[in-house]
Amino acid sequence: MRILDPTIQQKATKRTVPMASRPQSLSGATIGLLANSKSNSMALLDRLAEILSDRYQIGNVVRISKGDLKAPMSRVDADRLVGSCTAVITAIGD
Amino acid sequence: MNSKESIASVLSVERSGIEVADPWSAIEACYDKGWTDGLPVVPPTDRLVDAMLATGPWQPGEVLLYEPVRDRAVTAEKAAINAVMAGCLPTYFPVVGAALQAIGDPLFMLHGPATSTGGAALMIIVNGPIREQFGFNAKGNLFGPGCRANATIGRTLRLVLLNCLDCKPGILDKSTQGWPGKYSLCFAEDEASSPWGPLHVSRGFAAEQSTVTVFAAESGHNILSHGTTDPEQLLACFIDAMAGLGSFSPGYTVIVFTPEHVVHLARAGWSRRQTQQWLYDHAWRSLADLKRGGKLEPSFYAEAARVDWLYSDSPDSRPSPLPSPAEAGRVFSGDENVRVHRGIGPDDILLTVGGADAGGHSAFFPSWSRGRAVPFVTKEVPT
Repeated sequence: MRILDPTIQQKATKRTVPMASRPQSLSGATIGLLANSKSNSMALLDRLAEILSDRYQIGNVVRISKGDLKAPMSRVDADRLVGSCTAVITAIGD
Repeated sequence: MNSKESIASVLSVERSGIEVADPWSAIEACYDKGWTDGLPVVPPTDRLVDAMLATGPWQPGEVLLYEPVRDRAVTAEKAAINAVMAGCLPTYFPVVGAALQAIGDPLFMLHGPATSTGGAALMIIVNGPIREQFGFNAKGNLFGPGCRANATIGRTLRLVLLNCLDCKPGILDKSTQGWPGKYSLCFAEDEASSPWGPLHVSRGFAAEQSTVTVFAAESGHNILSHGTTDPEQLLACFIDAMAGLGSFSPGYTVIVFTPEHVVHLARAGWSRRQTQQWLYDHAWRSLADLKRGGKLEPSFYAEAARVDWLYSDSPDSRPSPLPSPAEAGRVFSGDENVRVHRGIGPDDILLTVGGADAGGHSAFFPSWSRGRAVPFVTKEVPT
């Protein structure tokens, strides 16, 4: 007898997101920090930014907290990160 | 930021499965594959799944629920497979489909309650003629085991989350503890015992329509009261639970009145609105209490909506400047007089009726999350 598979393995839109090119260096790079708005997420990201600054001499930091932890970030915030940052780090903090 | 508009409403369906020797091997195979909620499932054979699909108005490839974060579309076919596994009768499938559409409504933002450390259960409240047609339980042992419709329809939602949306414990489901309601939390309203008419009528549907109302619920609190017939004395027990520090939030509330309690409100002529208003007005804690209980997090004062909620019932204007994050937990003079209410208004409190005719036991269910949570969603069951 056959039993049917109850799972879904494939994505619905089948969209492909190409990987961004890897920066050769973070020296002077603008780094985005995207927090999920919980109390400790930006604290975690800020500490990470300090470490990156010490080790890799990153440049500016762009901080964004989502505001609504259960919703995706806004298009405005996404465009700001894409438009200004070499790389973005996101974190959740409960 | 996908939306359902970016996917087709009907997808192609290709059946796949595994060969097994017999039903007993099939049960073990489902365990081996990680397809269960920990309890044995009914093996989903082609025949059983076809019978399940046949009772619904949907084509097999029709999308009942699209979850944009995972980019997963749950078709009627996949829903039917999980409904068979849950033990549903084929006739239940329209209810299953409506419940999936409800939790898949963008307003419900399913990703939050399905994966949060908060460990929400997916509550389904059933209204309308299907309650009797399908033998839903609205009476004794309302939340407990024993009724096939209640148990299996609620269970189907969890199996869909586990199997179709990867919301497995420790993987995407990050519940710290969860609670047993996550297995299944589905019941019918005892409409005959409600002095206010059916819940779904209060939410804009006709009495002759059948509906499901979904809610992301924390574990329920038993409200035990046997010593009074006075509405305010009775409701004092409810507000005490609603204002408890452990579940306190600006979110939503479900109150399930047992018939023995709601009759006191009916005899005193309390309307649904009056009852919601009284509960909202009286379910509050002082800001000082919240701070002493460690409920004010440093980030709260950076959120405008949260600040509005904290100071919406204050005899004085809110402090200016607001406390810094470092001082979020410090009790200032005047904080004793600031009343912080559970929720942001009486509409956040949903009242329904259910349970045995005997026994002074009602229930309070807080919404998932220490934030605003997600709202109630009601969908019609196709007939």
